[in-house]
Amino acid sequence: MKLIKAGIIYTGKNKKVENGEILIDDKGKIVEVTKNINLKNINENNLNIVDYSDKVIIPGLIDPHSHIGIWGDGEGPTAYDGNEIPNPINGNIRSLDAINPQQRSFGSAREGGITTAQIIPGSGSPIGGLAVTLKTSGNIVDEMIIKNPSGLKGALGENPKRAHGKEQNQSPVSRMGNAALIRNYFQKSKEYGKKKTKAKKKNENFDLNLNYESGLKVLNNEIPFRIHAHRHDDIVTAVRISNEFNINFSIEHCTDGHLIADYLSEKNIWASVGPGLGVASKVETAEMTDKNPAILQQKGVKVSLMTDHPFLNCRYFMAYGAVVHKYGLSKKETLKLMTSNPAQMLGIDHKVGSLEKNKDADYLVLNSEPFSYKTKIEKTFIEDKEVYNRKNVEWL
Amino acid sequence: MLAIINAQLETISNGFIKNGKILIENGLIKNLGKNIEIPKKARIIDAENKIVTPGLIEAHSHVGISEIGIGPSGQDTNESTNPITPWCNALDGINMKDKAFEYFRKAGITSVNILPGSANIFGGKTTAVKCKNTVVDKAIVKENTGMKAALGENPKMLYSQKDKSPSSRMGNAALMRETLIKANNYYEKLNKPNKRDKNPDYNKEVHSLLPVLKKEVPLRIHCHRADDIVTAIRIAEEFDLKYTLEHITQGHQIMDFLKKKSASFAIGPTMHYGSKVENKERNFHTPLLADKNNLQFCLTTDHPVVAGHYLSMTAGLAVNWGMKRKTALKSITLNAAKHIGIEDNVGSLAKGKDADLVIWSDDPLEFTTFADLTIIDGEIVYQRGEDNETN
Repeated sequence: MKLIKAGIIYTGKNKKVENGEILIDDKGKIVEVTKNINLKNINENNLNIVDYSDKVIIPGLIDPHSHIGIWGDGEGPTAYDGNEIPNPINGNIRSLDAINPQQRSFGSAREGGITTAQIIPGSGSPIGGLAVTLKTSGNIVDEMIIKNPSGLKGALGENPKRAHGKEQNQSPVSRMGNAALIRNYFQKSKEYGKKKTKAKKKNENFDLNLNYESGLKVLNNEIPFRIHAHRHDDIVTAVRISNEFNINFSIEHCTDGHLIADYLSEKNIWASVGPGLGVASKVETAEMTDKNPAILQQKGVKVSLMTDHPFLNCRYFMAYGAVVHKYGLSKKETLKLMTSNPAQMLGIDHKVGSLEKNKDADYLVLNSEPFSYKTKIEKTFIEDKEVYNRKNVEWL
Repeated sequence: MLAIINAQLETISNGFIKNGKILIENGLIKNLGKNIEIPKKARIIDAENKIVTPGLIEAHSHVGISEIGIGPSGQDTNESTNPITPWCNALDGINMKDKAFEYFRKAGITSVNILPGSANIFGGKTTAVKCKNTVVDKAIVKENTGMKAALGENPKMLYSQKDKSPSSRMGNAALMRETLIKANNYYEKLNKPNKRDKNPDYNKEVHSLLPVLKKEVPLRIHCHRADDIVTAIRIAEEFDLKYTLEHITQGHQIMDFLKKKSASFAIGPTMHYGSKVENKERNFHTPLLADKNNLQFCLTTDHPVVAGHYLSMTAGLAVNWGMKRKTALKSITLNAAKHIGIEDNVGSLAKGKDADLVIWSDDPLEFTTFADLTIIDGEIVYQRGEDNETN
């Protein structure tokens, strides 16, 4: 057992505990978090007491939209595995099969305090493939998985138009084409599902189709559709199509969300906003603003922050949080957008995302309050195992 | 006439002045200090004891020529049809209405050096402008601040795709040398015309390199990998050029070598990822060692590679990793001005310099600090509104 005596604990659920304690069992699970833990039934010989009374403890950060391990980070084109471009419909593709857990970006994630990430295919195609959610430490990707699959990637707007229309002279060439292809995909998945059920009933042979299997998982609400949309009308299109098929979904990026915040607040949706600290590299991101997450959160949209690594290097996730905090959210609220909110959105909040009983002891040790340039992530723990220590950064 | 009173002045060149005043006339700093006289006719701005610094300076950027939010129509960074285009001039591609200039004013950035991109061995002339909402010719601080050159992956990757030279690092260096030799020959003929050799015909390729050969402006060489940095120095020294080194991502590997050189170094964009093999070692190692070894360096965002309006955040992160706050602030003000060669006009709060300054809501390096008021040439170019209006 380990007992942490912390100066300040942010639980990740809009709660701050001063002079709190965290009790962790030998399997790396949190037993209790409170001001004074009752140690009556605990054998003190087996108790490792750690004094962080001058430190701030926060949950490990959760990045709900990242390309770590599948997007070259210092390796050049040989490691660009984020998009399977030739075909616009890629339900059969899985990010899991391309992840290099030894890529330096995983180190950057741990350094930046990210302990869980959803790794999602790129946005080059209207249907991009299956996403997976995993812990950011390990050598064998299969052993790092928390949830697989954790969503099906879709994309609207400029990227599919460019990758297919402009560069390959094939559909989609337009936003209408993007939407039509996605509709068509779910319609066919639906028909596929009907045939599959029928065949099963009649005990007939049935040809498995991995492409439509993924669509079926979305239609059956086993996994959400995660739709890349920047421009406000693309966001609205994403909502429209999802409602037509009655599927769970999240809006990925949601850059123009602040322009249609009232509409989005009525829809009770999940939005992953980012990458932060960005620059409008495309026309569809021209209205990018640091105020977006605060505006959406205040309107009642369920917001998470994302790095979209490498588009924001994931080691600077906390700096993105600082900017969100700057534009109107309290530290507690901002941390929620980086911990328990994404955990809930990813459907893993029973396991990670906050410092609470029965959850994994994924936490960060900070030298002081978060969101200042003076604040250092000193240590990162996953399931109570130290996976990053600033003192060991070889170049310091 | 404008006066700022009740300010904590971080002058950069002359220490910290508590409860200071600045008097501005005709766009210049007329006087500053604790007990200077403020004429009655001066318009007074009360800084309410906030920190005032010189306007921040971005020494390596593509603002206005690599525009944001308008797609390919605003990409004018590289004339990427020929690896040798020294006749190009960033000045001719700058759109002062690029939204990024607005963001810069809101982030307290008042001067920028704008460079052509790194697709070509010689990319073209660089120019320094103020972030003013005006036509570019009225925004110029210094029209010709250098000649952009590039080594490493960018030129060789681009031209090998076109089946042209350079397709290797050897080719990069060879083309650079050959062009400089041509320029030298041309220069000598212009200088000492003899009977047989008449004045040579105007040659746009090499004519634009004359200011470099005459050491009037530096060659600004893009280099990330350690060996590219060394090649840049080798060639610059062979031709006895004034030069600056831009990026130096792997500079940390060869610091003992670099500290013997008197060049100026623009380090960055540090907040980016390893977008290429040659910049995989991006972190704050190089700027920290540059500080320890007393190099003349500045920090840059390479906007839009990293959004330029986070320049102060880059400096803040450098402090997070161990740089002294004073050095970090200097690296985005006076040292950036020195790197560009405009330190006589801008970069610090000093008598006679341009009145480019910022009143900050708090410590300018803090992530949550706002620029409350930005002044360029004595004019207010940005004032923060109630709604924290920003990018």
